[in-house]
Amino acid sequence: MIPKIVLQLKGLNKSFGGLLAVKNVDMLVNESSISGLIGINGAGKTTLMNCISGIYRADSGSLDIMGVSCLNWSPHDIARLGVGRTFQIPRIFKRINLIDNVMVPALNDNTDNKTLYERATECLDKVKLYDLRHNNAEELSGGQQKLLELARIMMFNPRIILLDEPFAGVNPTLCRLMIERIKELKEQGKSFLLVSHDLTSIYQLSDHIYVLNQGQVISEGNVDYVRNDPEVIEAYLGNA
Amino acid sequence: MAKSGTIKPDDFSEEISAQRLKSSLWYTIITVLILSCFLVPLQDGNLSFMFSLMMWVTLATGINFIAGFTGYMPFGYVAFYGIGTYVTAILVKVLGVSEYLAVPAAGLSGILLALLFAPTLRLNGIFFAIVSLSLAVVCQRLMSLLPEEITGGSHGLNLGVATDRTHGYYAMLIIMFVALVSASWLGQSRLGKALKAIRDDPDAADAMGIHVSRVRLYAWIMSAFFAALAGGAQAWFTGALDPITAFDVLITAKTVIYAMAGGLGTIIGPVVGTVTLVWIDEIVWQQFPVLNNFLLGLIITLLILFMPRGVVGSLMQHFPHLRKYIM
Ligand SMILES: Nc1ncnc2c1ncn2[C@@H]1O[C@H](COP(=O)(O)OP(=O)(O)OP(=O)(O)O)[C@@H](O)[C@H]1O
Ligand SMILES: [Mg+2]
Repeated sequence: MIPKIVLQLKGLNKSFGGLLAVKNVDMLVNESSISGLIGINGAGKTTLMNCISGIYRADSGSLDIMGVSCLNWSPHDIARLGVGRTFQIPRIFKRINLIDNVMVPALNDNTDNKTLYERATECLDKVKLYDLRHNNAEELSGGQQKLLELARIMMFNPRIILLDEPFAGVNPTLCRLMIERIKELKEQGKSFLLVSHDLTSIYQLSDHIYVLNQGQVISEGNVDYVRNDPEVIEAYLGNA
Repeated sequence: MAKSGTIKPDDFSEEISAQRLKSSLWYTIITVLILSCFLVPLQDGNLSFMFSLMMWVTLATGINFIAGFTGYMPFGYVAFYGIGTYVTAILVKVLGVSEYLAVPAAGLSGILLALLFAPTLRLNGIFFAIVSLSLAVVCQRLMSLLPEEITGGSHGLNLGVATDRTHGYYAMLIIMFVALVSASWLGQSRLGKALKAIRDDPDAADAMGIHVSRVRLYAWIMSAFFAALAGGAQAWFTGALDPITAFDVLITAKTVIYAMAGGLGTIIGPVVGTVTLVWIDEIVWQQFPVLNNFLLGLIITLLILFMPRGVVGSLMQHFPHLRKYIM
Protein backbone atom coordinates (compact mmCIF):
# COMPACT_ATOMS: atom_id res chain seq x y z
CA MET A 1 0.00 0.00 0.00
CA ILE A 2 1.30 3.44 -0.84
CA PRO A 3 1.48 5.55 2.30
CA LYS A 4 -0.57 8.73 2.37
CA ILE A 5 1.41 11.96 2.31
CA VAL A 6 0.22 14.43 4.95
CA LEU A 7 2.86 17.12 4.58
CA GLN A 8 4.87 18.08 1.55
CA LEU A 9 7.43 20.84 1.12
CA LYS A 10 8.88 21.82 -2.24
CA GLY A 11 11.74 24.22 -2.85
CA LEU A 12 11.29 26.08 0.40
CA ASN A 13 13.53 29.12 0.89
CA LYS A 14 13.85 31.43 3.84
CA SER A 15 16.47 34.10 4.38
CA PHE A 16 17.23 36.59 7.12
CA GLY A 17 18.83 39.60 5.50
CA GLY A 18 21.70 38.08 3.53
CA LEU A 19 21.66 34.77 5.40
CA LEU A 20 19.92 31.89 3.65
CA ALA A 21 18.68 29.91 6.64
CA VAL A 22 16.63 27.43 4.62
CA LYS A 23 17.71 26.63 1.09
CA ASN A 24 15.52 24.88 -1.46
CA VAL A 25 14.24 22.23 0.93
CA ASP A 26 12.02 19.37 -0.27
CA MET A 27 10.40 17.19 2.31
CA LEU A 28 7.67 14.55 2.67
CA VAL A 29 5.95 13.34 5.81
CA ASN A 30 3.76 10.24 5.59
CA GLU A 31 0.70 9.47 7.61
CA SER A 32 1.35 7.62 10.84
CA SER A 33 5.11 8.03 10.62
CA ILE A 34 7.95 9.83 12.31
CA SER A 35 10.35 11.90 10.25
CA GLY A 36 13.50 12.91 12.06
CA LEU A 37 15.23 16.18 11.28
CA ILE A 38 18.81 16.52 12.42
CA GLY A 39 21.68 18.91 11.86
CA ILE A 40 24.22 20.95 13.79
CA ASN A 41 23.37 24.15 15.68
CA GLY A 42 22.23 26.83 13.29
CA ALA A 43 21.51 24.35 10.49
CA GLY A 44 18.01 25.79 10.01
CA LYS A 45 15.82 23.19 11.72
CA THR A 46 13.82 25.59 13.86
CA THR A 47 13.51 28.06 11.00
CA LEU A 48 12.07 25.31 8.80
CA MET A 49 9.56 24.43 11.49
CA ASN A 50 8.59 28.06 11.91
CA CYS A 51 7.95 28.32 8.17
CA ILE A 52 5.69 25.27 8.27
CA SER A 53 3.70 26.48 11.26
CA GLY A 54 3.30 29.98 9.81
CA ILE A 55 5.34 31.84 12.41
CA TYR A 56 7.85 32.88 9.74
CA ARG A 57 6.94 33.86 6.19
CA ALA A 58 8.89 31.77 3.71
CA ASP A 59 10.40 33.60 0.71
CA SER A 60 9.39 30.99 -1.84
CA GLY A 61 8.47 27.37 -2.30
CA SER A 62 5.31 25.44 -1.62
CA LEU A 63 3.72 23.76 1.36
CA ASP A 64 0.95 21.19 1.15
CA ILE A 65 -0.77 19.90 4.23
CA MET A 66 -3.25 17.12 3.63
CA GLY A 67 -3.73 18.31 0.10
CA VAL A 68 -4.22 21.96 1.01
CA SER A 69 -1.68 24.40 -0.32
CA CYS A 70 -1.04 26.62 2.67
CA LEU A 71 2.34 28.34 2.50
CA ASN A 72 2.46 31.48 4.64
CA TRP A 73 -0.95 31.04 6.17
CA SER A 74 -1.30 32.49 9.63
CA PRO A 75 -0.33 30.19 12.51
CA HIS A 76 -3.89 29.73 13.76
CA ASP A 77 -5.09 28.70 10.31
CA ILE A 78 -2.25 26.19 10.02
CA ALA A 79 -3.18 24.94 13.48
CA ARG A 80 -6.79 24.52 12.42
CA LEU A 81 -5.63 22.46 9.44
CA GLY A 82 -4.42 20.00 12.06
CA VAL A 83 -0.81 20.92 12.72
CA GLY A 84 0.41 21.23 16.29
CA ARG A 85 3.87 22.06 17.53
CA THR A 86 6.08 22.42 20.54
CA PHE A 87 8.87 24.94 20.91
CA GLN A 88 12.61 24.52 21.41
CA ILE A 89 12.46 26.93 24.33
CA PRO A 90 9.18 25.94 26.02
CA ARG A 91 6.43 28.47 25.45
CA ILE A 92 3.92 27.87 28.16
CA PHE A 93 1.26 30.22 29.50
CA LYS A 94 3.03 31.32 32.64
CA ARG A 95 0.35 32.86 34.75
CA ILE A 96 -2.44 30.35 34.33
CA ASN A 97 -2.60 26.89 35.87
CA LEU A 98 -1.66 23.66 34.14
CA ILE A 99 -5.23 22.65 33.41
CA ASP A 100 -5.97 25.93 31.68
CA ASN A 101 -2.65 25.71 29.84
CA VAL A 102 -3.55 22.33 28.43
CA MET A 103 -7.07 23.47 27.56
CA VAL A 104 -5.96 26.34 25.32
CA PRO A 105 -5.79 24.40 22.02
CA ALA A 106 -9.27 22.97 22.67
CA LEU A 107 -11.05 26.21 23.55
CA ASN A 108 -12.65 26.35 20.10
CA ASP A 109 -13.86 22.77 20.30
CA ASN A 110 -17.55 22.10 20.46
CA THR A 111 -17.30 20.04 23.64
CA ASP A 112 -18.82 20.75 27.02
CA ASN A 113 -16.69 21.97 29.91
CA LYS A 114 -16.81 18.68 31.74
CA THR A 115 -15.38 16.69 28.84
CA LEU A 116 -12.78 19.36 28.23
CA TYR A 117 -11.73 19.33 31.86
CA GLU A 118 -11.53 15.57 32.02
CA ARG A 119 -9.50 15.36 28.85
CA ALA A 120 -7.13 18.01 30.19
CA THR A 121 -6.53 16.12 33.42
CA GLU A 122 -5.96 12.90 31.47
CA CYS A 123 -3.35 14.58 29.29
CA LEU A 124 -1.61 15.96 32.37
CA ASP A 125 -1.69 12.54 33.94
CA LYS A 126 -0.05 11.01 30.88
CA VAL A 127 3.03 13.17 31.41
CA LYS A 128 2.92 12.84 35.22
CA LEU A 129 1.98 16.42 35.88
CA TYR A 130 -1.45 15.66 37.30
CA ASP A 131 -0.49 16.43 40.90
CA LEU A 132 0.67 19.89 39.91
CA ARG A 133 -2.50 20.66 37.94
CA HIS A 134 -3.49 23.65 40.06
CA ASN A 135 -0.06 25.25 39.95
CA ASN A 136 0.72 28.10 37.61
CA ALA A 137 2.93 27.05 34.73
CA GLU A 138 5.67 29.49 35.74
CA GLU A 139 6.21 27.32 38.81
CA LEU A 140 7.41 24.36 36.72
CA SER A 141 11.02 23.42 36.08
CA GLY A 142 12.41 23.62 32.56
CA GLY A 143 11.98 19.91 31.98
CA GLN A 144 8.45 19.93 33.37
CA GLN A 145 7.62 22.74 30.96
CA LYS A 146 8.64 20.44 28.10
CA LEU A 147 6.28 17.82 29.48
CA LEU A 148 3.51 20.39 29.73
CA GLU A 149 4.00 21.23 26.06
CA LEU A 150 3.65 17.54 25.22
CA ALA A 151 0.44 17.35 27.28
CA ARG A 152 -0.87 20.41 25.47
CA ILE A 153 -0.17 18.80 22.10
CA MET A 154 -2.00 15.65 23.17
CA MET A 155 -4.98 17.80 24.12
CA PHE A 156 -4.74 19.55 20.78
CA ASN A 157 -4.91 16.19 19.04
CA PRO A 158 -3.66 17.38 15.63
CA ARG A 159 -2.96 15.12 12.66
CA ILE A 160 0.61 16.37 12.31
CA ILE A 161 2.89 17.15 15.22
CA LEU A 162 6.09 19.16 14.98
CA LEU A 163 8.40 18.62 17.94
CA ASP A 164 11.40 20.91 18.36
CA GLU A 165 13.91 19.37 20.77
CA PRO A 166 11.32 17.68 23.00
CA PHE A 167 13.95 15.79 25.03
CA ALA A 168 16.33 18.65 25.83
CA GLY A 169 16.67 18.99 29.59
CA VAL A 170 14.33 16.10 30.38
CA ASN A 171 15.76 13.35 32.60
CA PRO A 172 16.22 9.84 31.12
CA THR A 173 13.21 8.30 32.86
CA LEU A 174 10.83 10.98 31.67
CA CYS A 175 12.52 10.90 28.26
CA ARG A 176 11.56 7.26 27.98
CA LEU A 177 8.04 8.21 29.02
CA MET A 178 7.93 10.84 26.28
CA ILE A 179 9.20 8.34 23.72
CA GLU A 180 6.45 5.94 24.76
CA ARG A 181 3.83 8.67 24.33
CA ILE A 182 5.18 9.60 20.92
CA LYS A 183 5.07 5.97 19.79
CA GLU A 184 1.50 5.65 21.09
CA LEU A 185 0.43 8.72 19.16
CA LYS A 186 2.07 7.38 16.02
CA GLU A 187 0.16 4.13 16.42
CA GLN A 188 -3.01 6.22 16.59
CA GLY A 189 -2.17 7.59 13.15
CA LYS A 190 -0.38 10.84 13.98
CA SER A 191 2.54 12.00 11.87
CA PHE A 192 5.60 13.63 13.35
CA LEU A 193 8.40 15.89 12.33
CA LEU A 194 10.91 15.49 15.11
CA VAL A 195 13.96 17.69 15.68
CA SER A 196 16.48 16.51 18.23
CA HIS A 197 20.18 16.47 19.01
CA ASP A 198 19.61 13.24 20.89
CA LEU A 199 20.63 10.94 18.03
CA THR A 200 19.93 7.76 19.97
CA SER A 201 16.28 8.70 20.40
CA ILE A 202 15.99 9.99 16.84
CA TYR A 203 17.47 6.77 15.42
CA GLN A 204 15.21 4.73 17.65
CA LEU A 205 12.02 6.58 16.69
CA SER A 206 12.33 7.74 13.10
CA ASP A 207 11.01 6.01 10.03
CA HIS A 208 12.84 8.46 7.81
CA ILE A 209 15.55 11.02 8.52
CA TYR A 210 16.45 14.34 6.93
CA VAL A 211 19.85 15.86 7.59
CA LEU A 212 20.08 19.61 7.31
CA ASN A 213 23.33 21.51 6.94
CA GLN A 214 23.52 25.26 6.31
CA GLY A 215 19.86 25.23 5.39
CA GLN A 216 20.15 22.43 2.83
CA VAL A 217 19.12 18.81 2.96
CA ILE A 218 22.43 17.01 2.57
CA SER A 219 21.13 13.52 3.15
CA GLU A 220 17.89 11.66 3.65
CA GLY A 221 16.78 8.10 4.00
CA ASN A 222 16.17 5.43 6.58
CA VAL A 223 18.19 5.28 9.77
CA ASP A 224 20.82 2.86 8.54
CA TYR A 225 21.42 4.80 5.37
CA VAL A 226 21.77 8.16 7.07
CA ARG A 227 24.02 7.13 9.94
CA ASN A 228 26.50 5.60 7.51
CA ASP A 229 26.36 8.40 4.95
CA PRO A 230 29.90 9.88 4.75
CA GLU A 231 28.48 13.33 4.11
CA VAL A 232 26.55 13.21 7.36
CA ILE A 233 29.54 11.98 9.31
CA GLU A 234 31.58 14.75 7.75
CA ALA A 235 28.99 17.42 8.63
CA TYR A 236 28.61 16.22 12.20
CA LEU A 237 32.20 15.30 13.06
CA GLY A 238 34.15 16.90 10.22
CA ASN A 239 35.70 20.21 11.13
CA ALA A 240 34.78 20.03 14.79
CA MET B 1 5.34 12.53 41.34
CA ALA B 2 1.97 11.14 40.48
CA LYS B 3 1.73 7.71 38.96
CA SER B 4 -0.51 7.02 36.01
CA GLY B 5 -4.09 6.34 36.95
CA THR B 6 -4.28 8.71 39.89
CA ILE B 7 -7.07 10.84 38.44
CA LYS B 8 -9.90 11.15 40.88
CA PRO B 9 -13.29 10.37 39.34
CA ASP B 10 -15.00 13.38 40.92
CA ASP B 11 -12.34 15.81 39.79
CA PHE B 12 -14.71 17.91 37.74
CA SER B 13 -17.34 18.27 40.44
CA GLU B 14 -14.54 19.39 42.78
CA GLU B 15 -13.58 21.96 40.18
CA ILE B 16 -17.17 23.15 39.95
CA SER B 17 -17.44 23.60 43.72
CA ALA B 18 -14.13 25.46 43.68
CA GLN B 19 -15.60 27.79 41.04
CA ARG B 20 -18.69 28.27 43.20
CA LEU B 21 -16.53 29.19 46.18
CA LYS B 22 -14.71 31.79 44.11
CA SER B 23 -17.92 33.21 42.71
CA SER B 24 -19.61 33.42 46.08
CA LEU B 25 -16.78 35.49 47.53
CA TRP B 26 -16.81 37.72 44.49
CA TYR B 27 -20.58 38.17 44.47
CA THR B 28 -20.49 39.03 48.18
CA ILE B 29 -18.07 41.83 47.40
CA ILE B 30 -20.23 43.05 44.50
CA THR B 31 -23.37 42.97 46.61
CA VAL B 32 -21.83 44.93 49.47
CA LEU B 33 -20.45 47.48 47.04
CA ILE B 34 -23.68 47.87 45.09
CA LEU B 35 -25.81 48.08 48.23
CA SER B 36 -23.67 50.71 49.87
CA CYS B 37 -23.60 52.76 46.68
CA PHE B 38 -27.35 52.31 46.29
CA LEU B 39 -28.13 53.57 49.77
CA VAL B 40 -25.97 56.70 49.75
CA PRO B 41 -28.39 59.07 47.98
CA LEU B 42 -31.17 57.93 50.31
CA GLN B 43 -29.01 58.57 53.36
CA ASP B 44 -27.89 61.99 52.22
CA GLY B 45 -24.32 60.74 52.09
CA ASN B 46 -21.39 62.11 50.15
CA LEU B 47 -22.81 61.72 46.66
CA SER B 48 -19.81 63.06 44.76
CA PHE B 49 -17.35 60.83 46.58
CA MET B 50 -19.41 57.72 46.01
CA PHE B 51 -19.98 58.67 42.40
CA SER B 52 -16.28 58.94 41.72
CA LEU B 53 -15.68 55.69 43.57
CA MET B 54 -18.08 53.92 41.23
CA MET B 55 -16.55 55.63 38.22
CA TRP B 56 -13.04 54.50 39.16
CA VAL B 57 -14.21 50.96 39.86
CA THR B 58 -15.78 50.88 36.39
CA LEU B 59 -12.71 52.32 34.69
CA ALA B 60 -10.30 50.03 36.54
CA THR B 61 -12.43 47.01 35.70
CA GLY B 62 -12.68 48.19 32.11
CA ILE B 63 -8.94 48.67 31.63
CA ASN B 64 -8.42 45.24 33.17
CA PHE B 65 -10.11 43.67 30.14
CA ILE B 66 -7.36 44.87 27.86
CA ALA B 67 -4.41 45.39 30.22
CA GLY B 68 -4.96 42.53 32.65
CA PHE B 69 -6.29 39.97 30.21
CA THR B 70 -4.15 40.66 27.15
CA GLY B 71 -1.17 42.59 28.50
CA TYR B 72 -1.75 45.74 26.41
CA MET B 73 -1.40 48.97 28.35
CA PRO B 74 -3.42 51.76 26.73
CA PHE B 75 -2.01 54.99 28.10
CA GLY B 76 -4.65 56.80 26.08
CA TYR B 77 -7.53 54.94 27.70
CA VAL B 78 -9.05 58.31 28.62
CA ALA B 79 -9.93 58.82 24.94
CA PHE B 80 -12.87 56.45 25.32
CA TYR B 81 -14.01 58.10 28.50
CA GLY B 82 -13.69 61.55 26.91
CA ILE B 83 -15.65 60.54 23.83
CA GLY B 84 -18.34 59.17 26.12
CA THR B 85 -18.69 62.47 27.97
CA TYR B 86 -18.81 64.46 24.73
CA VAL B 87 -21.27 62.23 22.90
CA THR B 88 -23.60 62.33 25.89
CA ALA B 89 -23.35 66.09 26.32
CA ILE B 90 -23.78 66.85 22.63
CA LEU B 91 -26.77 64.54 22.31
CA VAL B 92 -28.42 66.07 25.35
CA LYS B 93 -27.56 69.71 24.86
CA VAL B 94 -27.49 70.15 21.09
CA LEU B 95 -29.94 67.50 19.93
CA GLY B 96 -32.18 67.37 22.98
CA VAL B 97 -31.96 63.60 23.35
CA SER B 98 -32.85 62.09 26.72
CA GLU B 99 -29.93 61.07 28.92
CA TYR B 100 -31.35 57.58 29.08
CA LEU B 101 -30.59 57.22 25.38
CA ALA B 102 -27.54 59.45 25.27
CA VAL B 103 -25.45 57.36 27.67
CA PRO B 104 -25.96 54.05 25.82
CA ALA B 105 -25.16 55.94 22.61
CA ALA B 106 -21.97 57.09 24.30
CA GLY B 107 -21.13 53.43 24.94
CA LEU B 108 -21.61 52.70 21.24
CA SER B 109 -19.38 55.61 20.31
CA GLY B 110 -16.70 54.05 22.51
CA ILE B 111 -17.03 50.82 20.52
CA LEU B 112 -16.75 52.71 17.22
CA LEU B 113 -13.65 54.53 18.42
CA ALA B 114 -12.18 51.21 19.55
CA LEU B 115 -12.75 49.77 16.07
CA LEU B 116 -11.16 52.85 14.55
CA PHE B 117 -8.10 52.43 16.79
CA ALA B 118 -8.03 48.65 16.34
CA PRO B 119 -5.05 48.72 13.92
CA THR B 120 -2.89 50.00 16.79
CA LEU B 121 -3.26 46.56 18.40
CA ARG B 122 -0.75 45.33 15.82
CA LEU B 123 1.90 47.24 17.73
CA ASN B 124 3.06 45.84 20.98
CA GLY B 125 4.58 46.87 24.26
CA ILE B 126 5.70 50.44 24.61
CA PHE B 127 4.87 51.32 20.97
CA PHE B 128 1.22 50.57 21.53
CA ALA B 129 1.23 52.56 24.77
CA ILE B 130 2.73 55.63 23.11
CA VAL B 131 0.49 55.58 20.04
CA SER B 132 -2.51 55.14 22.30
CA LEU B 133 -1.45 58.16 24.34
CA SER B 134 -1.04 60.33 21.26
CA LEU B 135 -4.42 59.29 19.89
CA ALA B 136 -6.00 60.52 23.13
CA VAL B 137 -4.31 63.89 22.60
CA VAL B 138 -5.60 63.96 19.03
CA CYS B 139 -9.13 63.37 20.30
CA GLN B 140 -8.77 66.19 22.81
CA ARG B 141 -7.58 68.64 20.15
CA LEU B 142 -10.34 67.56 17.82
CA MET B 143 -12.98 68.37 20.43
CA SER B 144 -11.63 71.87 21.00
CA LEU B 145 -11.30 72.51 17.25
CA LEU B 146 -14.76 71.34 16.20
CA PRO B 147 -17.38 74.10 15.68
CA GLU B 148 -18.27 75.81 18.91
CA GLU B 149 -22.01 75.26 18.46
CA ILE B 150 -21.39 71.53 18.73
CA THR B 151 -18.60 70.89 21.20
CA GLY B 152 -18.40 74.31 22.84
CA GLY B 153 -14.79 74.70 21.69
CA SER B 154 -12.18 75.05 24.39
CA HIS B 155 -14.79 76.12 26.95
CA GLY B 156 -16.71 72.91 26.66
CA LEU B 157 -20.40 72.43 27.29
CA ASN B 158 -22.63 73.20 30.23
CA LEU B 159 -25.78 71.15 30.60
CA GLY B 160 -26.88 73.30 33.52
CA VAL B 161 -30.07 72.34 35.31
CA ALA B 162 -31.11 70.15 32.40
CA THR B 163 -29.64 67.09 34.13
CA ASP B 164 -30.60 65.38 37.33
CA ARG B 165 -27.61 64.41 39.49
CA THR B 166 -29.33 61.55 41.26
CA HIS B 167 -30.32 59.94 37.98
CA GLY B 168 -26.77 60.29 36.74
CA TYR B 169 -25.63 58.68 39.96
CA TYR B 170 -27.85 55.65 39.51
CA ALA B 171 -26.84 55.38 35.87
CA MET B 172 -23.25 55.06 37.04
CA LEU B 173 -24.35 52.43 39.53
CA ILE B 174 -25.96 50.35 36.80
CA ILE B 175 -22.93 50.75 34.56
CA MET B 176 -20.61 49.62 37.34
CA PHE B 177 -22.85 46.65 38.00
CA VAL B 178 -22.83 45.58 34.35
CA ALA B 179 -19.04 46.01 34.21
CA LEU B 180 -18.55 43.83 37.27
CA VAL B 181 -20.90 41.14 36.00
CA SER B 182 -19.12 41.16 32.62
CA ALA B 183 -15.83 40.80 34.45
CA SER B 184 -17.02 37.76 36.35
CA TRP B 185 -18.38 36.23 33.18
CA LEU B 186 -15.06 36.85 31.43
CA GLY B 187 -13.14 35.46 34.37
CA GLN B 188 -14.80 32.09 33.91
CA SER B 189 -15.42 31.95 30.19
CA ARG B 190 -13.36 30.30 27.49
CA LEU B 191 -12.80 33.75 25.99
CA GLY B 192 -11.14 34.78 29.24
CA LYS B 193 -8.88 31.73 29.14
CA ALA B 194 -7.92 32.48 25.55
CA LEU B 195 -7.15 36.09 26.45
CA LYS B 196 -4.89 35.09 29.33
CA ALA B 197 -3.07 32.67 27.07
CA ILE B 198 -2.53 35.52 24.60
CA ARG B 199 -1.25 37.75 27.37
CA ASP B 200 1.30 35.15 28.45
CA ASP B 201 2.47 34.18 24.95
CA PRO B 202 0.66 35.41 21.85
CA ASP B 203 2.74 33.34 19.41
CA ALA B 204 2.14 30.12 21.27
CA ALA B 205 -1.59 30.90 21.53
CA ASP B 206 -1.63 31.54 17.79
CA ALA B 207 0.09 28.22 17.12
CA MET B 208 -2.59 26.55 19.26
CA GLY B 209 -5.31 27.77 16.92
CA ILE B 210 -6.41 30.92 18.76
CA HIS B 211 -7.28 33.76 16.37
CA VAL B 212 -5.18 36.21 18.37
CA SER B 213 -6.12 39.49 16.71
CA ARG B 214 -9.84 38.74 16.76
CA VAL B 215 -9.95 37.61 20.36
CA ARG B 216 -7.88 40.58 21.44
CA LEU B 217 -10.29 42.88 19.63
CA TYR B 218 -13.16 41.62 21.77
CA ALA B 219 -11.28 42.59 24.92
CA TRP B 220 -10.41 45.96 23.42
CA ILE B 221 -14.06 46.66 22.57
CA MET B 222 -15.27 45.67 26.04
CA SER B 223 -12.63 47.87 27.57
CA ALA B 224 -13.59 50.89 25.47
CA PHE B 225 -17.31 50.34 25.94
CA PHE B 226 -17.22 50.67 29.72
CA ALA B 227 -14.90 53.67 29.67
CA ALA B 228 -17.27 55.48 27.30
CA LEU B 229 -20.28 54.59 29.42
CA ALA B 230 -18.50 55.87 32.52
CA GLY B 231 -17.75 59.11 30.68
CA GLY B 232 -21.40 59.39 29.72
CA ALA B 233 -22.57 58.99 33.30
CA GLN B 234 -19.97 61.53 34.39
CA ALA B 235 -21.39 64.12 31.97
CA TRP B 236 -24.87 63.37 33.23
CA PHE B 237 -23.83 63.63 36.86
CA THR B 238 -21.75 66.79 36.70
CA GLY B 239 -23.62 68.50 33.90
CA ALA B 240 -20.50 70.19 32.60
CA LEU B 241 -17.44 69.27 30.61
CA ASP B 242 -14.46 70.73 28.80
CA PRO B 243 -11.76 69.18 26.61
CA ILE B 244 -8.98 69.54 29.19
CA THR B 245 -10.66 67.61 31.98
CA ALA B 246 -12.53 65.17 29.74
CA PHE B 247 -9.28 63.97 28.13
CA ASP B 248 -6.99 64.46 31.12
CA VAL B 249 -4.16 61.89 31.01
CA LEU B 250 -4.36 61.80 34.79
CA ILE B 251 -7.58 59.83 34.37
CA THR B 252 -5.70 57.06 32.56
CA ALA B 253 -2.89 57.26 35.10
CA LYS B 254 -5.22 56.87 38.05
CA THR B 255 -7.13 54.06 36.37
CA VAL B 256 -3.91 52.17 35.70
CA ILE B 257 -2.60 52.74 39.22
CA TYR B 258 -5.81 51.63 40.91
CA ALA B 259 -6.10 48.52 38.76
CA MET B 260 -2.40 47.65 39.15
CA ALA B 261 -2.40 48.21 42.89
CA GLY B 262 -5.13 45.63 43.28
CA GLY B 263 -3.84 43.25 40.65
CA LEU B 264 -4.39 43.31 36.90
CA GLY B 265 -5.51 40.01 35.46
CA THR B 266 -7.59 39.06 38.45
CA ILE B 267 -11.25 40.04 38.60
CA ILE B 268 -11.25 41.13 42.23
CA GLY B 269 -7.93 42.99 42.06
CA PRO B 270 -8.97 46.21 40.28
CA VAL B 271 -12.03 46.54 42.52
CA VAL B 272 -10.06 46.03 45.74
CA GLY B 273 -7.29 48.34 44.54
CA THR B 274 -9.68 51.10 43.56
CA VAL B 275 -11.81 51.02 46.66
CA THR B 276 -8.76 51.00 48.93
CA LEU B 277 -6.83 53.72 47.15
CA VAL B 278 -9.78 56.03 46.54
CA TRP B 279 -10.55 55.75 50.21
CA ILE B 280 -6.96 56.32 51.33
CA ASP B 281 -6.86 59.27 48.96
CA GLU B 282 -9.93 60.75 50.62
CA ILE B 283 -8.60 60.24 54.15
CA VAL B 284 -5.17 61.64 53.32
CA TRP B 285 -6.88 64.57 51.64
CA GLN B 286 -8.94 65.34 54.75
CA GLN B 287 -6.14 64.83 57.29
CA PHE B 288 -3.10 66.16 55.47
CA PRO B 289 -4.29 68.40 52.64
CA VAL B 290 -0.76 69.65 52.04
CA LEU B 291 0.85 66.23 51.91
CA ASN B 292 -1.93 64.64 49.88
CA ASN B 293 -0.11 63.97 46.63
CA PHE B 294 3.18 63.24 48.35
CA LEU B 295 1.73 60.56 50.61
CA LEU B 296 -0.33 59.04 47.87
CA GLY B 297 2.69 58.91 45.57
CA LEU B 298 4.70 57.23 48.30
CA ILE B 299 2.06 54.58 48.93
CA ILE B 300 1.79 53.83 45.24
CA THR B 301 5.56 53.64 44.77
CA LEU B 302 5.91 51.21 47.66
CA LEU B 303 3.05 49.12 46.38
CA ILE B 304 4.47 48.79 42.88
CA LEU B 305 7.96 48.15 44.23
CA PHE B 306 7.06 45.42 46.67
CA MET B 307 3.96 44.03 45.02
CA PRO B 308 4.43 44.36 41.28
CA ARG B 309 1.44 42.11 40.71
CA GLY B 310 -0.73 44.17 43.03
CA VAL B 311 -2.12 43.23 46.41
CA VAL B 312 -4.38 40.45 45.18
CA GLY B 313 -1.89 39.21 42.57
CA SER B 314 0.93 39.00 45.10
CA LEU B 315 -1.23 37.20 47.63
CA MET B 316 -2.06 34.63 44.99
CA GLN B 317 1.58 34.31 44.00
CA HIS B 318 2.90 33.78 47.53
CA PHE B 319 -0.01 31.91 49.07
CA PRO B 320 -1.10 29.37 46.45
CA HIS B 321 -3.88 28.02 48.67
CA LEU B 322 -5.61 31.41 48.38
CA ARG B 323 -6.03 30.87 44.64
CA LYS B 324 -9.13 28.84 45.20
CA TYR B 325 -10.88 31.83 46.76
CA ILE B 326 -9.82 34.51 44.34
CA MET B 327 -11.34 35.12 40.96
N1 LIG C 1 14.72 35.51 13.71
C1 LIG C 1 15.92 35.40 13.13
N2 LIG C 1 16.56 36.49 12.65
C2 LIG C 1 17.77 36.37 12.06
N3 LIG C 1 18.41 35.21 11.90
C3 LIG C 1 17.82 34.10 12.35
C4 LIG C 1 16.56 34.12 12.99
N4 LIG C 1 16.21 32.86 13.34
C5 LIG C 1 17.23 32.08 12.95
N5 LIG C 1 18.21 32.80 12.34
C6 LIG C 1 19.44 32.28 11.76
O1 LIG C 1 19.09 31.21 10.92
C7 LIG C 1 20.02 30.14 11.06
C8 LIG C 1 19.29 28.88 11.41
O2 LIG C 1 18.75 29.00 12.73
P1 LIG C 1 17.82 27.90 13.37
O3 LIG C 1 17.29 28.43 14.64
O4 LIG C 1 16.85 27.45 12.37
O5 LIG C 1 18.86 26.74 13.67
P2 LIG C 1 18.63 25.31 14.33
O6 LIG C 1 18.97 24.30 13.30
O7 LIG C 1 17.28 25.24 14.92
O8 LIG C 1 19.75 25.31 15.45
P3 LIG C 1 19.74 24.72 16.93
O9 LIG C 1 20.12 23.29 16.82
O10 LIG C 1 20.80 25.49 17.60
O11 LIG C 1 18.40 24.94 17.49
C9 LIG C 1 21.03 30.57 12.11
O12 LIG C 1 22.18 31.00 11.44
C10 LIG C 1 20.37 31.73 12.80
O13 LIG C 1 21.32 32.68 13.18
MG1 LIG D 1 16.56 25.12 16.81
